[in-house]
Amino acid sequence: MVSPVLLIVIPLGLAFCVPLIGMVSKRFARFVPVVACLFNLVVSVQLLPAVLSKPIVVDLGGFGAPFSINLFVGPVGILFSLLIALAGFVVSLYALAYIDKGPTTRYHTLYLLLLVGATGVVLTGDVFNLFVFFEILCISSYVLVAYRGDKDGVESAVKYLIQGALGSALLLTGIGLLYGLFGTLNMAHIAVQAGSADPIPLFVAMALIVVGLGVEAAIFPLNAWLPDAHSSAPSSISAILSGIAIEVGLYAVVRMVFTVFGASSMLSFLMFLGVLTLLVGELCAFAQSNIKRMLAYSSIGQIGLIIFAIAIATSGSITGGFFQLVSHTLSKALLFLAAGYMIYRSGSMDISSLEGMGKRMPLTAFAFAVGAFSLVGLPPFAGFPSKLLIIRGALADGGALLALLVGLVLLGTVIEGAYFFRVIQTVFFKKGDGETARCEAPAIALVSMFVLVALIIVIGVYPSLIIGVLNSAASELLVRADYIGRVLG
Amino acid sequence: MRILWLVLSPLIALAVGLFFLGLSRRVMARIHWRYGPPLYQPLIEIFRYFTQKGSSHGVLFGLGIVLSLAGSIVVILFLPFGGICSMSGSGGMLVVLYMMLLAPLGIALSGGEAANPNASIGISRKLMLALGYELPFLLIVLAIMTHYDTISLVDIVSAQRETASAFASFPLVLSGIAYLLILPAMLGMRPFEVVHAPQEISSGPIAEYSGPYLGLVTIQHALTTFIGISLFVNLVWGGAGNPFVFFLKMLVVLAFGLFVNAAFPRLRVEQAVRYLWRWPTLIAFVGLILVVTLGR
Amino acid sequence: MSLELLMVVALGGSLLTYVLGRVSSRLRNGFAVLVSLALVAMVASLYGKALHVSYYEDFLGMSLVLRVSGLSWLFAMTASTLGCLSVVFSLSYMKGKERTSFYYSMLLLVNAAMLGVVLSGDLLSLFIFWEIMSWSTFLLISYNGGPALAAGMKYFVMSFVGSLAMLAGLLTVYGSFGTLEFGGVAAGMLSASPGYILAIFVLFGVAFGTKNAIWPFHAWLPPAHSEAPSPFSAILSGILIKMGVYGFLLIIFVLVGLRNFMALGADGLPLHTVLSIVGAITILFPTFMAIMQNDAKKLLAWSTVAQAGYIILGISFGTSLSVAGGVFHFVNHAVFKALLFMVVGTVEYRTKGVRDLDSLGGLIKKMPLTFAVALIGVCGLIGVPLTNGFVSKWLIYKTLILERSPFLALVALFGTWGTILYSYKFLHNIFLGQLPEKYKDLERAPMTMRLPMTVLSIVVVLFGVLPGIPLSVINSIDTSFGLKPLNVTLWGLASDTGALNTINILAAVFAGLLIVWLVLKSGGRKVSVDQADNYAAGAAIPKDKYQYSVGFYAPLTRMVAPYLKDFMDSFYMRLAGWVGGLGSGIRRIYTGYVGDYAMYIVLFLAALIFVQLTWSPW
Repeated sequence: MVSPVLLIVIPLGLAFCVPLIGMVSKRFARFVPVVACLFNLVVSVQLLPAVLSKPIVVDLGGFGAPFSINLFVGPVGILFSLLIALAGFVVSLYALAYIDKGPTTRYHTLYLLLLVGATGVVLTGDVFNLFVFFEILCISSYVLVAYRGDKDGVESAVKYLIQGALGSALLLTGIGLLYGLFGTLNMAHIAVQAGSADPIPLFVAMALIVVGLGVEAAIFPLNAWLPDAHSSAPSSISAILSGIAIEVGLYAVVRMVFTVFGASSMLSFLMFLGVLTLLVGELCAFAQSNIKRMLAYSSIGQIGLIIFAIAIATSGSITGGFFQLVSHTLSKALLFLAAGYMIYRSGSMDISSLEGMGKRMPLTAFAFAVGAFSLVGLPPFAGFPSKLLIIRGALADGGALLALLVGLVLLGTVIEGAYFFRVIQTVFFKKGDGETARCEAPAIALVSMFVLVALIIVIGVYPSLIIGVLNSAASELLVRADYIGRVLG
Repeated sequence: MRILWLVLSPLIALAVGLFFLGLSRRVMARIHWRYGPPLYQPLIEIFRYFTQKGSSHGVLFGLGIVLSLAGSIVVILFLPFGGICSMSGSGGMLVVLYMMLLAPLGIALSGGEAANPNASIGISRKLMLALGYELPFLLIVLAIMTHYDTISLVDIVSAQRETASAFASFPLVLSGIAYLLILPAMLGMRPFEVVHAPQEISSGPIAEYSGPYLGLVTIQHALTTFIGISLFVNLVWGGAGNPFVFFLKMLVVLAFGLFVNAAFPRLRVEQAVRYLWRWPTLIAFVGLILVVTLGR
Repeated sequence: MSLELLMVVALGGSLLTYVLGRVSSRLRNGFAVLVSLALVAMVASLYGKALHVSYYEDFLGMSLVLRVSGLSWLFAMTASTLGCLSVVFSLSYMKGKERTSFYYSMLLLVNAAMLGVVLSGDLLSLFIFWEIMSWSTFLLISYNGGPALAAGMKYFVMSFVGSLAMLAGLLTVYGSFGTLEFGGVAAGMLSASPGYILAIFVLFGVAFGTKNAIWPFHAWLPPAHSEAPSPFSAILSGILIKMGVYGFLLIIFVLVGLRNFMALGADGLPLHTVLSIVGAITILFPTFMAIMQNDAKKLLAWSTVAQAGYIILGISFGTSLSVAGGVFHFVNHAVFKALLFMVVGTVEYRTKGVRDLDSLGGLIKKMPLTFAVALIGVCGLIGVPLTNGFVSKWLIYKTLILERSPFLALVALFGTWGTILYSYKFLHNIFLGQLPEKYKDLERAPMTMRLPMTVLSIVVVLFGVLPGIPLSVINSIDTSFGLKPLNVTLWGLASDTGALNTINILAAVFAGLLIVWLVLKSGGRKVSVDQADNYAAGAAIPKDKYQYSVGFYAPLTRMVAPYLKDFMDSFYMRLAGWVGGLGSGIRRIYTGYVGDYAMYIVLFLAALIFVQLTWSPW
């Protein structure tokens, strides 16, 4: 059996090969991320059955836990690494055509580093190691946001950098506090001792870590960097940022709260925070006239929904939350990719400039529509089973408070439906300015989009395909003792 | 016997209606200090019209007026006439209410086809006026139907005959008064004459009729008058055991209508609708509430 | 004949139509007609059968079921028939328009989704098809662009609110009973508390009421119906909004059960009374709105709202007579309203898109058949005896009088008079009066338009003269609801509280017509004259200006318009404005100044720690 370490090592190695290959041929360098992601995808799929039956714990350096850094490849980890590899693969295909100007070699290196960071975060079982991978992820994304080198890009990248750095600083402080408290940085080891620790310093450490990670996870009010960064990055990067980066941040928060700290008393607060994030995101998106900013705010809304679902902390709702995560990654990536070429062709990010795109680039517009329908949660697309599961999970316990929150969530969904359908109307039914020449996206970009379209429809019709992984991921989060047991033996 | 009545009742209605038309012209003339035409003048006119040439504006022009007149004839078959009703048990009062639609609708279609704006104006006024008087009228009819708990006209009449008349049945008094107040509007008499208004819109809907068409319109007018008055007698004045008493009661109602006709000037259609939706509606409404709260 | 096959044909037909459209438009048109015809045949063959198949065993732990019952057969039959006629009608209507493959494919998809809704045997399938129906409808409403966009948006948002309410309702039901199959839910409902049933009813009622456009959820309908392509307006008005009626019937009679439903709020304000009052408001207000309209399709759209009120009024009484009236009126309305929308479509097609009631006139000379079917449709709408609308309205009125609800009866009957006003305006302003010069050379409607209109007008008369045919089907639905069967005869009803005998009426009317016709024939010579050969008090007749159609009911409008404010609509619009404003307001949080952002992060952290140190909630 392949070792999960390869999931990190191979792409990392390849990332540093990109500049070397780039010296030989820039054309070849483009394909390195595709290969790396494909590799990760294959390995993840191969690992999947084994992981589902029993999580894999890999100790690095030969010492056992808690002394060495370990990787914990449980259902959650493999789910995320699959998702990262998949989204990374599709987006790298897209980038083959889309990234044609500027320092492309550096783009591909950083892109791979970003994915390595993300994969590392979700697989590691060590808090400091998590921080390191997190920084890899963040730093490469700062740079990628500024890839275009225009004023907007650089400005948002700097804003992102400042806030991200602040977050990282808080995170690092929190980790330091943890080390001071427990003398260990192994997650499972901390988890064992967390119950008996002095509550005040423990809480401060948790607050620092959650807030620090929350910046990347785009929890309201820590998410101010997101609309700027997502909208001024190249669309392929926006897709990854929205589809992967914030999800990974979210993963880190959830892992900390659920597994490391076992802070079940925080959950109802997180639930409110989730609904608040959702409403703020959707309302802001509703008021946008810039398509990419709209999509970015919509990501905030979606993250809010996922937080809400996971914070309910029943197996049904967590499954729903993870399902939503999957469907959001697929749909939002698709939306950004489709919007990317529509923006490229029309030359403006204004929604009104997309008029008539339904005729000029019918396939891209169709892909966009599928992504939007899925995100809004309409059958038969992937967003539908996920919303169904979340609301089922929330209503199952029958409390009035949850029912009220569900009402707010549904309200947010209505707003979301309104702005997405407004864009769909603009794209398909508004009479454009007369420009009718076909200008479809290049074939390779279309392929990448239609992979996502197919996935969205297949998952929407056969949710049972992924429900198994999601169920075990939910139980991994819920049964903390299992995690500790697996790592510490 | 029933077949005989089916044939006879429209004829009787026509005779009575024409007599009423003649009578009203005569009475009006006397009120105006004129001598007036003979009583059988409408009959003479009808014969004259049928021998003259008529100009047609299309198929619907003829069809509409035929439909209108046929509708009136059918309504007559449904109306009890002094203990005789040819078509009891085919839908009752609801069918009558609907069949009464055909007469104005037919004229409206035919007049519309004539492509004369005067006709269109008249029709629009007729429909608005009808909307005006239908509100109190429906309140009255519903009060009566609810009071006797049936939709059959024959049952209503026979129930009234047990108590002499609706006027004697206490909860329906207000309904009866309201009916009296809207009767001129239903008969198209002054002050609700705005539909035809000869001096203003050249007789409105019937502006374009000539020859046999005008003959049919005159017959239609006679029948409508008959229907309006006999419905009143049936619904709130207890009908009658034999045709003669029924005729006498109708005559009294007509006389009332004629006096109102002579005494009032013409109202504009807004004024008319406003009037109809104010006092008669209010009274009929209270009447219906009485019926509902007091029970039988 | 299996239900899965039916759905596969319906959904696959829609997809394939689009694909074939890429190949050849003639092939696509033929195929679309073929598919819709096949659906009619397949649905027809299901008559009287009771099938129940589970077609998807494990959708997130719930099994999805298709089933057919008397009720669903009637709706499916109406839907597929109208779908087929509408496709045929579209053949000429859509000729030369852009994106026709998309149009046909969506038309068939809506059709398929409607079949799915009525053939669903569990609430989740119902919801899934309901949503597919909603978004495909949205796409078709928006098809025309321009003002249709706002209409589509309004439709989608309102419909989406409704369907999310339904989602919440059905998931609550799932949480309580662990099943979504109708049988299981009905069994669970038997022992549920009244408060629970009321909550479920309200959640579903919002969804069904919005689709059915009953007041106060009607706001989407007038713009949507008037802006959609006319053949689709026919479907929209004829059958799609009636999915709400289906939903109400389903929840009242199948899920909650009539006895439970009648008992809801019985000691205070009974729910069925509330529903009937809503029905009455839905009749009265839209009727007057329709009288005010100057756009032919908008007039018909408001009329649709009003007629939906009659249906709800009928259903809410829950007696065999009233339910028969309500269901029959649904069938009838589907027939004559589809017919009338097609009439407008024909006029639009020939006059190049004119449907303004102020600028047409005299078209009877050019399109006599279209006028004839319009007249029949209008008669059905008014409920003139010997048309289908009369029988269903008669049933509803009779219920109202027998149930001693004279005030509701007043509204219903008065609404009918309002109907006469707007119907006549519709007929007059399009077909009667003077023919404008520019329409002198108008051609009559093409064959593919005349055919569906003729079929529908025949049905209007057939069901009016022989109401026993549909009533026997409806009677069996009544029986399946556990209601007392009606004494249906081919000619109407035999009953002790006032019978209905259409054949007597027919005979009387025919005799009357014959006599009068003979009298007319016996009269003097008739000559046909030109439309300009008119009485104008001796003045010359001004060409194109001797027409009275602008402000047809101006005096009435002046009177009632100040009181006729669609305040629900303005409320919704204001609400949408508020949400937009709230969004722009909240957006200010993101000031664009990175110092503020850093401050948010630090403040949030500080607040967290402060709260924990002070109150230690966590």
